[in-house]
Amino acid sequence: MNQFQYMRPTKQKAAIDALAKDPNAKIIAGGTNLIDLMKRGVMTPLKLIDINKLPLNKIEHEGNSTRIGALALNGAVAEDKLVLEKQPLLAQALNAGASAQLRNMATVGGNMLQRTRCHYFYDTALPCNKREPGSGCGALEGYNRMHAIFGFSDKCIAVHPSDMSVALVALDATVLVSGPKGDRRIPFAEFHRLPGDTPQQDTNLAQGELVTAVEIPDAAFTKHVHYLKVRERASYAFALVSVAAALSIDNNTIKDARLAMGGVAHKPWRLTEAEKALIGKPATEETFRQAAEVAMRGAKAFKYNAYKLKLAPNSIVQALKTAAAVA
Amino acid sequence: MSEQLQKSQSGAIGEPMNRVDGRLKVTGAAKYSAEYELPNLVHAVLVGSTIAKGSIKNIETRQAERAPGVLAVITHLNSPKVPGFAERDHPAEPPTAGQPLRVFHDNKVVFNDQPIAVVVADTLERARYAASLVKAQYDQDKHQTNLEANLGQGYLPAQAKKNPKSPLADYQRGEADAYKNGATKLEAEYVIPSEMHNPMELQSIIAHWEAPDRLTVYDKTQAVIGTQRAFAKDWGIPEANVKVIATFVGGAFGNGLHNWPHETAAIIAAKKVGRPVKLVLTREQMFTMVGYRPYTWQKIGMSATPDGKLTAITHESVGQTSTYEQFTESTLQQTRMMYTAPNVTTRYRIASLDVSTPVWMRGPGEATGAFALESAMDEMAHALNLDPLEFRLRNYTDTDPDNGKPWSTKYLKECFQMGAERIGWSNRKQQPGSVKSGEWLVGYGMGVGTFGAHRGSAKMKAILTKKGTVVLQSATTDIGPGTGTAMVQIAATTLGLPPEKITFQLGNSTFPTAPSQGGSSTVNTVGAAVQDACIALREKLHQLAAATPNGQVFSAAKPEDIVIMEGHLSLANDKLAKAAYSDLLRQNNEAEVEVTIESKPGGSDRDKYSMYSYSVHFVQVHVQPLTGEVRVKKVISCADAGTIVNQKTAGNQMMGGAVGGIGMALTEGAVIDDRYGRYVTKDLADYHVPVHADAPNMEFAFVNKPDPHVNALGTKGIGEIAIIGMAPAIANAVFNATGKRIRELPITPDKLI
Amino acid sequence: MNPEPEQPNHDEARRTFLKQSSLLTALAFTPGPVLQAAAAEIDEKVAAVFEKIPVRLDINGHKHKLSIEPRTTLLDLLREQLGLTGTKKGCDYGQCGACTVHIDGKRVNSCLTFAVMQEGKEITTIEGLAKGDDLHPMQEAFIKHDGFQCGYCTPGQIMSAVACVREGHAGSEDEIREFMSGNICRCGAYSNIVAAIQEVKGGGQKV
Repeated sequence: MNQFQYMRPTKQKAAIDALAKDPNAKIIAGGTNLIDLMKRGVMTPLKLIDINKLPLNKIEHEGNSTRIGALALNGAVAEDKLVLEKQPLLAQALNAGASAQLRNMATVGGNMLQRTRCHYFYDTALPCNKREPGSGCGALEGYNRMHAIFGFSDKCIAVHPSDMSVALVALDATVLVSGPKGDRRIPFAEFHRLPGDTPQQDTNLAQGELVTAVEIPDAAFTKHVHYLKVRERASYAFALVSVAAALSIDNNTIKDARLAMGGVAHKPWRLTEAEKALIGKPATEETFRQAAEVAMRGAKAFKYNAYKLKLAPNSIVQALKTAAAVA
Repeated sequence: MSEQLQKSQSGAIGEPMNRVDGRLKVTGAAKYSAEYELPNLVHAVLVGSTIAKGSIKNIETRQAERAPGVLAVITHLNSPKVPGFAERDHPAEPPTAGQPLRVFHDNKVVFNDQPIAVVVADTLERARYAASLVKAQYDQDKHQTNLEANLGQGYLPAQAKKNPKSPLADYQRGEADAYKNGATKLEAEYVIPSEMHNPMELQSIIAHWEAPDRLTVYDKTQAVIGTQRAFAKDWGIPEANVKVIATFVGGAFGNGLHNWPHETAAIIAAKKVGRPVKLVLTREQMFTMVGYRPYTWQKIGMSATPDGKLTAITHESVGQTSTYEQFTESTLQQTRMMYTAPNVTTRYRIASLDVSTPVWMRGPGEATGAFALESAMDEMAHALNLDPLEFRLRNYTDTDPDNGKPWSTKYLKECFQMGAERIGWSNRKQQPGSVKSGEWLVGYGMGVGTFGAHRGSAKMKAILTKKGTVVLQSATTDIGPGTGTAMVQIAATTLGLPPEKITFQLGNSTFPTAPSQGGSSTVNTVGAAVQDACIALREKLHQLAAATPNGQVFSAAKPEDIVIMEGHLSLANDKLAKAAYSDLLRQNNEAEVEVTIESKPGGSDRDKYSMYSYSVHFVQVHVQPLTGEVRVKKVISCADAGTIVNQKTAGNQMMGGAVGGIGMALTEGAVIDDRYGRYVTKDLADYHVPVHADAPNMEFAFVNKPDPHVNALGTKGIGEIAIIGMAPAIANAVFNATGKRIRELPITPDKLI
Repeated sequence: MNPEPEQPNHDEARRTFLKQSSLLTALAFTPGPVLQAAAAEIDEKVAAVFEKIPVRLDINGHKHKLSIEPRTTLLDLLREQLGLTGTKKGCDYGQCGACTVHIDGKRVNSCLTFAVMQEGKEITTIEGLAKGDDLHPMQEAFIKHDGFQCGYCTPGQIMSAVACVREGHAGSEDEIREFMSGNICRCGAYSNIVAAIQEVKGGGQKV
């Protein structure tokens, strides 16, 4: 790991100033992803701005939404009474991620900003357009078992690894950011990008912008929610496919629905068409199957991830069944 | 009986005594190889090649050399010459043929991530950074890293070519490939991927040249003597000048049975900078240069009569090895001896690829072979519509069909019975997919394991101190089974001393010679040596006591009546008898009473009997029909391993092996991208070792009957049979749950949907 | 080991560096290029000293005033500089849990945090768990239930287990298994570890 300059501002403005003026600077909060990548030479910032002294870790309810500070720890959010009461799907997704130790370190802001786990991104001896634009995509014709079936480009087929983000995109969250030009709000679905021709850019954050909080509107998704994560061991592994499912059911009729998938695209993958296919229908396996079919439209697989074309819809059905408590 | 013996009950053979090194381990005080503080210690970091085959055209080291704190950057261009590289033939342990990688010897690259440079700096951070500055250019050759694309290149290993009686040679009993004419027959191929030992402790070494011809290494190894010999040979110095310390070894599972490039790199680096050098591999490097269970393709042909008698088995295998060493293992042995089949054919081949050399991994060979054999047994039982346990019983054999000899002991039927009862085998349905628990499909499966009950030779020193405590010394190691604990119990029982009066010291090449800790043979070999040394010590004490003033009472007694007390000897049946240590020592002119013995397998039992330990694993799995997730819900592993010295540590080994088997069956497999000849899954996030949530509450049971032919203790060995047969038990249970027969491990969700 | 090892005085090193440097102006105002200067082979040996920064940590009740490189992880600080080798390095990437310590009472992976980030924090390692000769109940339970084999993951398992009970995540076998899944034991002593945790939890002692 190269040497870097370390600073620990106590004012948000100082952090943003430092970040804005230095393209080689990075924010560090939990550090669980950045330090990992720095050890492997994948990221080589020359300056780290430690924001842990900024007062950004509150979890509060204001008006009709829950607001979670960017520095709130994943573990703390997952166990927070307010979150458990208002947004249990988020708590489930957080607990499905990483380990108890990592959840005690990783922050909400860092979680959404974590980089892909693609093998080719992680190994500096292999080509990767995300790490080194123009070097090629190693995964395209390589070992692409973990890779995308939606929204990829010929430059990058990586997936976003966050569980939390899958729940947040399903829950219509908004990311609050602060930058040199002031504050702005980014709908969660527009926060992450598809790879296109610039896979090196994971998100739509501008240079110098800092995530300060995430806001989740209240909704009737407190009872029939389920986060299903299918992985290669029972815990502590990234998803092959994950599903965030939230239903509002009245008299066995689906009044409202939220559905998103993880492990299938470069961003957390919201399934709005499938949601529409659920609303107004009876909460039955048949309905869920039809929605899963809608959800899979446009999916395309590579050599080693064709199983996702079946695992994804099956997982949607299973997640919806569990959420609806349909045996 | 004496007061001492009363107290020692808790430490007698068979008792579930707590580990003697437990306190050191739970307080963090146990020191592993990278944890010794030496004056002037510096840090080394390896640089690996980024191609799989070719030669180094140019290597840029100037930037690294000028980086802060850097003491040396060593490559093939400036490495001190290792004298033994010119003619070194063998690694530490047989039977690998070929020549271990000669690190920094020339510009050849023979596998991806092969060490091409080592950077030494005053701190770890600086060494790591400087290593990132070393860049190489290559002349690249076309590589081969895919076994299945190279099955045709499989060849008979050199030792089988030389010796047609070698266990690796082609084998035929009865008619060749007779299964083809069988009444009910099956033919199937089985594949296991490369699996990594991945002990939790990273491979580490501190190399210290105490003088130009005197080397001390603190090394993660299962063989301190083998390592001593290998390095003495490498450097052309007497064995006595090489000291190897491995007091605590943080797991190994076989990868400490060979000496690897990083060890020599550290020794070279220490030579170059004239200071002790510490080198700890990264987790990625644990995948690329310290061995693995080789990718293996197998094919089984099997036939049986309609009433469930096996008529023939043909078992072939091709495993991968490197281009510079011929790694072999006994993949097909159990097919020759486990069942009664009159016609058995086996063909063992290896194929050289541009990869690093594999090495024995827990249950080596047998665990691989058992996956195919025990899966095929289940397939045949299904084809015959027979209960798989019943099918095995119909083909059970009371003599070794390989050579006609009787078994030394075989209590496998007892294992079957205990296991079947405890798993609830009667709940199993012959028709797959007929049992459910909620939405999950429920399946039951079994798999049998066997491994040779080996015993080697070992020396042992036993010392009686003035305080009346006994110290035993042996150059064996303890990679986790609880060797020290078992040895203390054996000594306590033999001497009639309480265990707290006994210390067993190991992991040091200056101690009397012992074999490597491998092949489930440590208690068989070293345990027997402890027993022999204690008997010899007691005899010496008897003689010495008899020669003391008033020693008549001792000369009249038997050696086994000697009681060791604080400051003096006494007799079990005469508490007034007393021989002071000061008197004993004075006449012997020594500071302590000590004996050193050599313990060898004796007699002709080895020729008369076939000696094996046995296990059977019964499992219950749940399979999610939509997502293909498999959860092992119950495990009962039963073993006929002879005498059990410590129920607690032995049971722990059985359960641990079963957890390893869960990994083998469901989660583990290292993947090479053949375009680059480079591993792409090479850390613990991409290579899935089982976690807590993968392991149910495991159960174990031992027959615990001695085998009098292996050694006087009656032990047969546990480490290997704990895993052998577990993977097929799970695969068979998955079949029983789903009707899907998975013949390529690991059984990940994608294969079941 | 001296709890407060002598370290080169940071300011003095900096002054020496600035005196010697031919790039005084650039360095004084934009420290980033110091590193590029190092890469360009100018005064790099001095530049490295300059990059050390002071940190205060409370480790197992001992106060440490240290001067360290910001790139030093807490794990490497403990193991390589402070002689606290009870905390283990199993992967260095937060994928095994062997390096688990408590920071301000919470379990974390010490390999994935820079030591400078823990300024002023209270850190407990396995060496700080026992009270003198009296083992912590979790340590006793691990010995009794044989919750280990090789012992390498053990300090991390125990630190994690203590936290698991304190957090209230030891309610059932399944909950323990889930919340201990961040600690890999390759020897496979999982059943015994779970038994040890259950005993401590059931015993109701203060952990």
